[in-house]
Amino acid sequence: MAASSSAETKSASWWNYFFLYDGSKVKEEGDPTRAGICYFYPSQTLLDQQELLCGQIAGVVHCISDISGSPPTLIRLRKLKFAVKVDGDYLWVLGCTVELPDVSCTRFLDQLIGFFHFYNGPVSLAYKSCSREELSTEWDTFIEQILKNTSDLHKIFNSLWNLDQTKVEPLLLLKAALILQTCQRSPHILAGCILYQGLIVSTQLPPSLTAKVLLRRAALRDQRTPAGGEALQDRGAALPLNVQIIPVFLSEEEAVSLREFPGEPITSSPAPPARLQERASALKEGATRHVESTAWTVATTLESTSPDVAWPNGRGENGHVSDHPAELLDTAWGRAPGLSHSLGEQAALFRETEDLDLSEIHIPQDQEMGTSSDYFAFQCVCAPEGGGPHCKESVSDSGNPDPRLPETVPVGTAISGLFSPSAPEMLSQNGALEQCKDLPGDSSAAPISREDCLSRRTSWPLSSPRLESRQTGAELPVGDQGMEQGVDGVHESCSAPHLERGSGSADSQGTRPPADRTDCGSTPASRTGLVRMNLYTHSVKGLVLSLLAEEPLLGDSAAVEEVYHSSLASLNGLEVHLKETLPGDEAASTSRTYSFAHLDRIQNVLMANLPQVATPQDRRFLQAVSLLHSDFAQLPALYEMTVRNASAAVYACCNPAQETYFQQLAAAARSSGFPSPQDSAFSLPGRARQKLLKHGVNLL
Amino acid sequence: MKCVLVATEGAEVLFYWMDEEFEESLRLKFGQSENEGEELPALEDQLSTLLAPVVISSMTMLEELSDMYTCFSTENGNYLYVLHLFGECLFIAINGDRTEGEGELRRKLCVLKYLCEVHFGLVTVDGQLIRKELRPPDLEQRTRVWEQFQSLLRTYGCLREQEQSFAVEAVERLIHPQLCELCIEALEQNVIQAVNSSRERAGEEALHALLLVHSKLLAFYSSHGASSLRPADLLALILLVQDLYPSESTAEDDDTQPSPWRGRSSQNIPVQQAWSPRSAGRARRSSAGETDSSLPEEYFTPAPSPGDQSSGSTIWLDGDTPPTDTPQVQMAEDTLQTLLPCCPVPSSPRRIFLDASVKDSYCPMVPHTMYCLPLWPGINMVLLTKSPSTPLALVLYQLLDGFSLLEKKLKEGQEAGSTLRSHPLVGDLRQRMDKFVKNRGGQEIQSTWLEFKTKAFSRSEPASCWELLQACGKVKRQLCAIYRLSFLTVAPGRGGPQLPRHLQEQVQTLMQEKLMDWKDFLLVKSRRNVTMVSYLEDFPGLVHFIYVDRTTGQMVAPSLSSSERTSSELGKGPLAAFIRTKVWSLIRRARRYLQKGYTTLLFREGDFHCSYFLWFENEMGHKLQIMEVPVLSDDSAPVGVLGGDYYRKLLRYYSKGHPAEAVKCYELLALHLSVIPTDLLVQQASELARRLWEASRVPLL
Repeated sequence: MAASSSAETKSASWWNYFFLYDGSKVKEEGDPTRAGICYFYPSQTLLDQQELLCGQIAGVVHCISDISGSPPTLIRLRKLKFAVKVDGDYLWVLGCTVELPDVSCTRFLDQLIGFFHFYNGPVSLAYKSCSREELSTEWDTFIEQILKNTSDLHKIFNSLWNLDQTKVEPLLLLKAALILQTCQRSPHILAGCILYQGLIVSTQLPPSLTAKVLLRRAALRDQRTPAGGEALQDRGAALPLNVQIIPVFLSEEEAVSLREFPGEPITSSPAPPARLQERASALKEGATRHVESTAWTVATTLESTSPDVAWPNGRGENGHVSDHPAELLDTAWGRAPGLSHSLGEQAALFRETEDLDLSEIHIPQDQEMGTSSDYFAFQCVCAPEGGGPHCKESVSDSGNPDPRLPETVPVGTAISGLFSPSAPEMLSQNGALEQCKDLPGDSSAAPISREDCLSRRTSWPLSSPRLESRQTGAELPVGDQGMEQGVDGVHESCSAPHLERGSGSADSQGTRPPADRTDCGSTPASRTGLVRMNLYTHSVKGLVLSLLAEEPLLGDSAAVEEVYHSSLASLNGLEVHLKETLPGDEAASTSRTYSFAHLDRIQNVLMANLPQVATPQDRRFLQAVSLLHSDFAQLPALYEMTVRNASAAVYACCNPAQETYFQQLAAAARSSGFPSPQDSAFSLPGRARQKLLKHGVNLL
Repeated sequence: MKCVLVATEGAEVLFYWMDEEFEESLRLKFGQSENEGEELPALEDQLSTLLAPVVISSMTMLEELSDMYTCFSTENGNYLYVLHLFGECLFIAINGDRTEGEGELRRKLCVLKYLCEVHFGLVTVDGQLIRKELRPPDLEQRTRVWEQFQSLLRTYGCLREQEQSFAVEAVERLIHPQLCELCIEALEQNVIQAVNSSRERAGEEALHALLLVHSKLLAFYSSHGASSLRPADLLALILLVQDLYPSESTAEDDDTQPSPWRGRSSQNIPVQQAWSPRSAGRARRSSAGETDSSLPEEYFTPAPSPGDQSSGSTIWLDGDTPPTDTPQVQMAEDTLQTLLPCCPVPSSPRRIFLDASVKDSYCPMVPHTMYCLPLWPGINMVLLTKSPSTPLALVLYQLLDGFSLLEKKLKEGQEAGSTLRSHPLVGDLRQRMDKFVKNRGGQEIQSTWLEFKTKAFSRSEPASCWELLQACGKVKRQLCAIYRLSFLTVAPGRGGPQLPRHLQEQVQTLMQEKLMDWKDFLLVKSRRNVTMVSYLEDFPGLVHFIYVDRTTGQMVAPSLSSSERTSSELGKGPLAAFIRTKVWSLIRRARRYLQKGYTTLLFREGDFHCSYFLWFENEMGHKLQIMEVPVLSDDSAPVGVLGGDYYRKLLRYYSKGHPAEAVKCYELLALHLSVIPTDLLVQQASELARRLWEASRVPLL
């Protein structure tokens, strides 16, 4: 409820700088620092100042990495603190006021990087395929959105903007959840969330993903609707009204977590979407069965890999600059002149969605379509001529070509490397070995795979995805590990040299069959640990349904229709009800006798009763909360805390699922600070328990 | 993986300290890149190469953004860098093994800075001169200075980890009123008076004498004319003594890796029934009002005594209460350790600078001479004297202070040219400076002062602000140079005047004779400084506590030992070690929250319920209302005593609101089991504080 406070928009004094710096552009003595500045916020900062900050921070980061063996994650100054993330040559830096807790600062940066990856893919490729100006506009929108919607408390917790569920009829929440579940039954759909006026009504997504979807909605409203919306309608004539489907990029862990508990698909799949373990075991049992069980993840993995490779090349070929990175679909139209046959077939699938005049599989149409699907461009690069140059690049990046590694390194292996420092061993164990074992099964598995795909209407053609599937399988045992590692794993991964090494050796093999080439091309993508998916959004006035789906959704208009129609009526109904029950901002709550904040650690959503404009008492509360929250974040064994100064006493408690903060507002008799049982500060826990019960917070 | 570096703006290394792991990591870094056979650059050069970018970037940031790096941390806090700028010197502390947090690293830097002040006095004010002191051009001398500070840092690190007194930065006393009284008498008559009445004292005047048993204070006596010693200075003295004669507690810790700075071998000699039960007719001096006129001097009120059984079941292990539980006695005997029987060799006296009031005016960093006279291993006597030239220190301080103020005003741009002349401060300063220059003579100071005067007071062409600043800086440097010449160059260690050797020996022998019977008792007592034997029974659920009187800078706590050979109320071995880490983390967190303005803190972590209380009282023990405590930034000097005397400032701050009464400040840290409910905990804490306070109120004599 404390979300979207307009008061925050004007003063974003806590958010001082944000910049993305490409160190590879500034290698020589003479290179100006500005050449490396990809984005700088606030943009009105003098260029000299920008250069100073980028240059100094980059220099210090380098020096500290040199001494410590790992780059700094936080740089604190007297008046500022910088969260830092190093991603290969790229340096992400977020500068906040010192009052913001360290944890929050770091998480904001992670969130920002996550947003960018989600909508634009890996940063290096995004900046190769799009101009700085375009991406800067995108950044501006992101940041503006965050600043506008982040209240004092959200700032501390990096929590999501959610609807105050106590103010909504529980049945409506149930209804929202049901809509999501219904959608999940449609093919390709993995999970989703429903937002109302930028606030979460219901979500099935993990918090990190919800955050991304949440931000997009806002961005769409502000930026797209006027111009972009129409364009979309033009092109995707057959997309239902108010529906958009855009490609997005998920981190490996996010993808794994989504696929781990899929909804029950109503399509008759020979092998129901398997859980990780099942897939892992399938792997061992044999290629055929394995292919079946993993078939549906295959597709995405392949796709996830190809675009990354394709962008730079596609752009290099015709110098085409896309209008918007998130709409590569449109911009890449007609970019791929020389499609191989197989690629064309794949492209057809995509084109299907784009043009929407096709409802089934259109393999023969590939030739005409070659000019109009950017997905073709991706594919074509994956093909023989594409993999080469890119792989080479990777090798030089890593500077450590290891001939010992056999041929292509499967996607999964590469990922395994991301999460484990002892990557080489992992490679040989998980990756290479698995691969050798699986190879014989490839050819026999192929037809099955295709059939399987076809039967599931995913229209996955051809051999290359099948090959990928095997590799996806290989990754699975590792996937668990990745999840444990947490979100950071992805970013770490990017700098891991052995990943490039894998692609490099693949390249050196030279004479691999095309399918394997595709694979080779895929490695750089997995290098970034990103998986491609589709984001389906359907807005009904203030209400937005966002669904994450496997890539084939875009090509499967029947599936789109199904989702659309299964949810349309309920969405309309929900919207009406929500509008009725939420009469906009309430008048400031009547005299409070206490302040509280309650964080759901699992969902990362917040409940609080602070007014939009903080009173001095509230500021004291916030100050205490940020201190206490930092401690809770650092010390898992800490579970209850009371702090008191002359004017405020705050009680806080936490468990793995929640954090609660409570302050009594009544002016307490001033005490001496000497331990006294009469002191009201020590009765706070009891009061908190009693008062918060009516907010649905149970502290017992 | 620890390292401390002091560097100039140009990344010249003024001082460094590193542990073996860090040295090893440097070797790995630089060993590879060098050709075989070629000699590696000196450690300081390696360090300078490595950290130069950070130092230079810090200075750039300072110039361009007027902001400074204060801290870097890498993933999960694996590496932590803390930077602090003192004047023109950048102090950097690095930890790469997660054993120290930001607070600890910053504290270490502040303590290092404080130790510099203790050793170099006001010379630290001048960036150029302090450079010469910390990094003498002469290599041999440099090595000596660096080794001295490296050793001090190491000792400080050990004490901070081992001793509760250094963890909370307050002096821990050996509580034994009878013995304390005896010692004070001895210190007065056999030490201070003996020295001051000696004709050979060469103008030196004995001011303070104290007896230390390990790191605990047994007795302290100040001569009539002496001003009181700050708790911070007292702690610093203990640190210096521990550095010169490390006691087991500090040495023990290094048993695994032989103590790198002292090649002393300690031998364990179990001592047989060394201290007979106190009931054996050793009459305790009556605590009834003894208006002993033979002790007219001012001295520290020693141990709080309980006044018989008045404080309920609280039993103080002192003269008149024979220990009731024999197992404890047994344990003490078993674990009693002594060092080599032979007496350690006295070190040469040292010049140190401590705050004092001279002629009724407060003066920081007054030169003293410290004589550390070891009586037995673990028991040391410290004698502090002042030289006849002390008034000069006051004059120099006042002048320097005046010029610093002037500098500040000039920098603010308030005063320029004509207005400067008319400023009362300047007029006064000019007068004093004229007088000083006239009395003092000295070519250089005369010409510098003349230059300043023409610039500042010339009616025809008043100098610019910048020029004045320059001139001001020069005068200050000259003053510092005189200070350095007077107090450092002719320091006792460097051939300056000092008490004759035989006088020192005489004093030492006398004290040894006095304490001979008590020696072994003291050594045990210092290890098992039991304050309240029965706290475990009286306060069920209470595991440990620390009570600190911040006004006097003294603390009381049950002993807490994790060493194999000694034990405490909490036993020994892993349990005690575990409790220790809990207590230390409670101290850390309490400080963190106090820094942010919170004076009460309660938290449950794992199996413990920890609490911290800070409050103020007046002389009568009436609790005063709590006030808003300043909220400090993360990079401010740490809450403590050694590096930046936080509590002194806090008391001064609070006293402003209570001008009529003397304000006292207390802290209580308690560790309970987590099953203890909050109300019971608070009740116990209240009762505990009350008892401890009552105990400390009973006058000794």
